[in-house]
Amino acid sequence: MRNFVGLRAIPEMEYHRPIALEQALKLLSELKEGCKIIAGGTDLVPAARRGRMSSSGHIHIIDISSIKDLDYIIKEDDMIRIGAVTKLSEVGASTVVKEHVPILAEAASQTGSLQVRNLGTIGGNLCNASPAADTAPPLLALDARVNIRGIDKQRLVPLKEFFTGPGETILAPGEILAEVQIPITEPTAGSCFIKLGRRNAFTLSIVSVATLVKVKDGIFDDVRIALGAVAPTPIRASKAEKYLTGKKVSEQVIDDGAKVVTSEVKPISDVRASARYRKDMSYIVTKRALTMCFNGSQVTSFAGKG
Amino acid sequence: MEERERRLVSGKGFYVDDIELPNMAHCIFVGSPYAHARIKSVDVSRALRLNGVLAIITGKEVAKLMDPLPATSNYEAIGWHWRTPKVYPLAVDKVRFQGEPVAAIIAEHPYIALDAADLIDIEYELLPPVSDVNEAMQPGSPLVYEEWEDNMQVHLEFNFGDIDAAFKEADRILRVSWHEGRVSGFPIEARGCVASYDRITGMLNMWSSTQAPFLGRQYISSALRLPTNKVRIVVADVGGAFGNKLNWWKDTVVGLGSIVTGRPVKWVESKRELFLTGSHNRDVTWEGEVAVKNDGSILGVKAKFVKDLGVEGTNRGSAAMGIIPACCSVPNAYRLFKGLKIEACGVVTNKSPYCAYRGYGKDKGIKFMERIMQIVSRELNIEPEQIRLGNFIQPHQFPYKQISGYVYDSGDYPAVLKKALKLGKVDLWREKQRQARKQGKYIGVGVAFMVEPAGVAAPHCIYGGLTQARVRITSDGLVEVENDQTEIGQGSTITRTKVVANILGAKIDDIEVKRDSSDMPGSGVYSSRGAVYPTGALIRAARELRVRMIKFAGHFLNEEPAHIDITDGVFHSTKDPTKRMSLKELADCAYFRPGPRGLPHDMQVKHEILLDVSASWFSPNTAQNPTSTYATYCSGADIAVVEVDVETGAVSILKYAHVHDAGTLLDKDVVEGQIFGGIVQGIGEALSEELVYTRSGELLNNSYTDYVMPTAQDSPDIVMGHIETPSPFTELGQKGIGEAPVITSKAAIINAIEDALSPFNIRVPESPATRERIRRWILESQEG
Amino acid sequence: MKVPIKTKVNGKLYEQEVEARSTLLDILRDELKIKSVHRGCEDGECGACTVLLNGKPVCSCLVLAAQVDGAEITTVEGLLKGDELHPLMLAFIENHAVQCGYCTPGVIMTAYYLLNNLADFTDEDLRRGIEGNLCRCTGYIHIIKAIKAAKKCKDSGNWW
Ligand SMILES: Cc1cc2nc3c(=O)[nH]c(=O)nc-3n(C[C@H](O)[C@H](O)[C@H](O)COP(=O)(O)OP(=O)(O)OC[C@H]3O[C@@H](n4cnc5c(N)ncnc54)[C@H](O)[C@@H]3O)c2cc1C
Ligand code: FES
Ligand code: FES
Repeated sequence: MRNFVGLRAIPEMEYHRPIALEQALKLLSELKEGCKIIAGGTDLVPAARRGRMSSSGHIHIIDISSIKDLDYIIKEDDMIRIGAVTKLSEVGASTVVKEHVPILAEAASQTGSLQVRNLGTIGGNLCNASPAADTAPPLLALDARVNIRGIDKQRLVPLKEFFTGPGETILAPGEILAEVQIPITEPTAGSCFIKLGRRNAFTLSIVSVATLVKVKDGIFDDVRIALGAVAPTPIRASKAEKYLTGKKVSEQVIDDGAKVVTSEVKPISDVRASARYRKDMSYIVTKRALTMCFNGSQVTSFAGKG
Repeated sequence: MEERERRLVSGKGFYVDDIELPNMAHCIFVGSPYAHARIKSVDVSRALRLNGVLAIITGKEVAKLMDPLPATSNYEAIGWHWRTPKVYPLAVDKVRFQGEPVAAIIAEHPYIALDAADLIDIEYELLPPVSDVNEAMQPGSPLVYEEWEDNMQVHLEFNFGDIDAAFKEADRILRVSWHEGRVSGFPIEARGCVASYDRITGMLNMWSSTQAPFLGRQYISSALRLPTNKVRIVVADVGGAFGNKLNWWKDTVVGLGSIVTGRPVKWVESKRELFLTGSHNRDVTWEGEVAVKNDGSILGVKAKFVKDLGVEGTNRGSAAMGIIPACCSVPNAYRLFKGLKIEACGVVTNKSPYCAYRGYGKDKGIKFMERIMQIVSRELNIEPEQIRLGNFIQPHQFPYKQISGYVYDSGDYPAVLKKALKLGKVDLWREKQRQARKQGKYIGVGVAFMVEPAGVAAPHCIYGGLTQARVRITSDGLVEVENDQTEIGQGSTITRTKVVANILGAKIDDIEVKRDSSDMPGSGVYSSRGAVYPTGALIRAARELRVRMIKFAGHFLNEEPAHIDITDGVFHSTKDPTKRMSLKELADCAYFRPGPRGLPHDMQVKHEILLDVSASWFSPNTAQNPTSTYATYCSGADIAVVEVDVETGAVSILKYAHVHDAGTLLDKDVVEGQIFGGIVQGIGEALSEELVYTRSGELLNNSYTDYVMPTAQDSPDIVMGHIETPSPFTELGQKGIGEAPVITSKAAIINAIEDALSPFNIRVPESPATRERIRRWILESQEG
Repeated sequence: MKVPIKTKVNGKLYEQEVEARSTLLDILRDELKIKSVHRGCEDGECGACTVLLNGKPVCSCLVLAAQVDGAEITTVEGLLKGDELHPLMLAFIENHAVQCGYCTPGVIMTAYYLLNNLADFTDEDLRRGIEGNLCRCTGYIHIIKAIKAAKKCKDSGNWW
């Protein structure tokens, strides 16, 4: 084991600041080994200071935060496109996002603190691939896709396929997540994001959930449930969704559906919560989020406050 | 007056990290990743070769160049089971807690020192760790100190009154157990110091973020084998302390670093290091029985008290001693005690050292008692306030000698509690509680009361009750003030200014509180003693100075001193308004024109020719009553109303009220600031703060993300009330109160949660009552 | 590696060469000697290092110095008018929101941003706004009071 020191120094590195996406991709393909992308740095800098950035070999840090063509929120007919380096604070404050996909705005606004949201980006939140990444559940529930760019290629991947494990994604070396695409879905009932942490604010999720519900004639027509911090990656609770779809809306059905979620989560125990509590809370917050979808309000936040 | 505050808001602070000296080097500590291991070898050669590394100090050097860390308290000589380990600030042959420093690196830049940290090769032989206090008490447990036959550092028995009589007379005997998680203050500024050794004069000058520079000097000089007069500590601006800056074990190494390199050396601790190697507190377990009458009278308590001291609580820190006030504070505000018997165990484990945190020890006894009150109230079905009102010491009974020996100075406990009940609108909330239950909502009303012993003077330890103040008029008529009331953010600069201005009749803006330093004998600030001891000395010095000033002014104005008054820095005769002189004029007369030759003859004869007075103070309470280790006993009552979300375990604070009696209030705003801060710290302890160790002694949460302190969204609005019953034992009737709020707020919140959960018949067994734990208690109660 | 950067800090232009691995916090404190920016946790968790980066509060400990090329940075020193304290600072003093003072400059920068950007607010909004600034001394109560008092200054035109 390494010697204990409170905080480590960020290792020596070479800094690059491309101003266009193409330039960044070119740098990545030329420098290859030892390249590390930085956007807001809110995950990367603390990780480096905890000694999680290896200092063996030459490190090239590619700063994509000032690439203008990755910083935008655009609404098209049936889709919202968000550039990867758009700050979480911009996502949270965007009228377009608030109007059409309020659960994403809510999740972005509950990530970290004001100071962290003014640095952290939506791309960074996804690429860091924390199981607790707060923008992931709403984006999963919204069937978002990510546009991944390589030097001469690009691929459009459903977000559901993007995460492969804690801190792991399908991104290959040299690739950049360029854009998040969110199909606009009108939830005929409502949508909801709930985050439960260990205090009322500025807290990492023990469990977070995003739900989106469409009903037709009192029957669940389309139900989306996505959860964070309860599995190696953020997940869609497809069994619960399937259970609910086609059923008549009732308190009992919602409760039963929410219970199905507990068979889909695979939480771990850590200092933040035990697996048992996480599992239990997956049920509780899912039930609440689904219920909230019918309470008129489009979106409700909940960080544990009564 | 607010010169300090004006500096601090505008970026002109003088915190340790702000200090830059020419040629200054930087120190970092390299610690063990293991909780318990023998050090087989330490090889610093690779690290030393790194450009910019100046020196590396290891255990081998400190064992050669230093004496072991001195004990801050030792009662072995008087026959108590009290062990003090032989330890150095850097591990010599074995490491005993995760993060224990093994080497210190001095380099040109902190980043170079950090780069070098990974180049030190240390070989360990792992030993079985013991991080659980119950395991540590088992025979056959791994030994933290092999030279001891077990892990019991301190083992004491307290037996007051007649415990058998108490239990014989009881109608009922209730079992109570209560555990408090391991927590600490963790101020936003961690520890740190700058040391600068002058090889020519042999003088070690230090700037430090400390609560007690005079004690620090004593400690550091002893460890470094320097005469005390060759060490001087100046207190930098202190970014919060809360008891955490009452230890200097790492500072000794920084001093040594300056001595060996001949350069000024700065050490600023990172927050992670503070979490891992800083001092911890609480982590106590009470198992006991309480003897009660059916009317709610509490007759006696029998208990076993176990404190997890981590690696030790006497040499790196000083809170093993907190066991004593913990046990003696149990009877709290209650008069019907016939007996109190406690077996107290201070046990060592492979965790970080134990030192002070706001509350120190008394908090533990009081919280235990307030948990007992809650449980008795529930078992007997009597409202919690009624139980307390029935047991309270009555206003006419003061001074009151408590069964544990403390002599309570004054108070009106029923008035304090009744005022809090009113401010907290308890009747209204109980009604809301009933309504809410019908809708499946769980509201609870929590009551807590405390009598806080403040201003300690104990023998055989660093907390002996030393204090000194000096007040003087400069030759240009300004006032300089000094005492050992170190400014640590508690507002002592403002309080001292006001106290002196009031007594002297000087202009507030003419008063300068000097930067605190080890020059002023006195044990600093802790134990809520600031308002008691140092302030007592200050008042005495200022009063005597005033007498002298008036006498001098009378002489120069040709007026009887009895007819001289001073307001706003101007002396005047009450008989003849034309006779006036400013303090500046007086100073000029006294010092130079004419100077001492022109002073009253009797003053010349008595050698009292300077407008410069020093004074000390010792608690008359403690002097008259040797068992009353503390000088004053303030009181306070807290009412918390919470709602528990029984599905998630989340607690919302709906209403919070606090009333206290700190005797004569020296400065209401300063006191209120202290209390608000303390209440929120207590809320953090009650709901979310806890240092979590694995069985192998690894600390899992050494960051503010995972050590969950309240944010602005977690702290409630607080209504506050004051009652003033002056203490007969202090100069102005003031009482210490600094630690009080953290005690009652925690108890009130826990009691409120228990009240909210009463339909589930849950007894809250431990703190923090995290969301997860509350949910678990509920599920368990439903499972049967 | 050294990286050349140009910044405008508290209205003054700077051209520097910074170490690629140093943070904005490092260069403000150690090179520009702006000591109001405090090292709290250096982990983004406490807000003691809060500065305005292009007008918005951020944790300067999380930003690489190299990343702020071309940026405008404001710290409490930038709110002073010569020796004159900003009304917000005076409100902090008058309302006893400064205890140990270690969190204070960071809180003031967040509060300054909130006051300039929220037309109106409730206590709850303020509590939410300063959630990223931990204070261990005040329990936040006097801080909230001070910000509300400063709002009055601002509304009456006593502001810059
Ligand atoms: C105090 C604190 C509190 C926090 N609280 C929360 C919270 O409550 N919820 C939460 O979800 N997160 C939280 N975070 C984490 C973090 O702020 C977010 O994940 C943020 O969105 C990360 O974005 P960034 O731009 O700062 O990422 P960076 O740190 O710049 O990058 C993160 C990772 O992603 C990679 N990367 C970034 N952008 C791209 C891209 N476009 N293409 C390919 N790779 C890329 C980087 O190489 C790096 O590995 C917190 C962080 C801190 C410091
Ligand atoms: S020092 Fe930057 S947030 Fe704590
Ligand atoms: S005033 Fe001390 S941390 Fe806020």
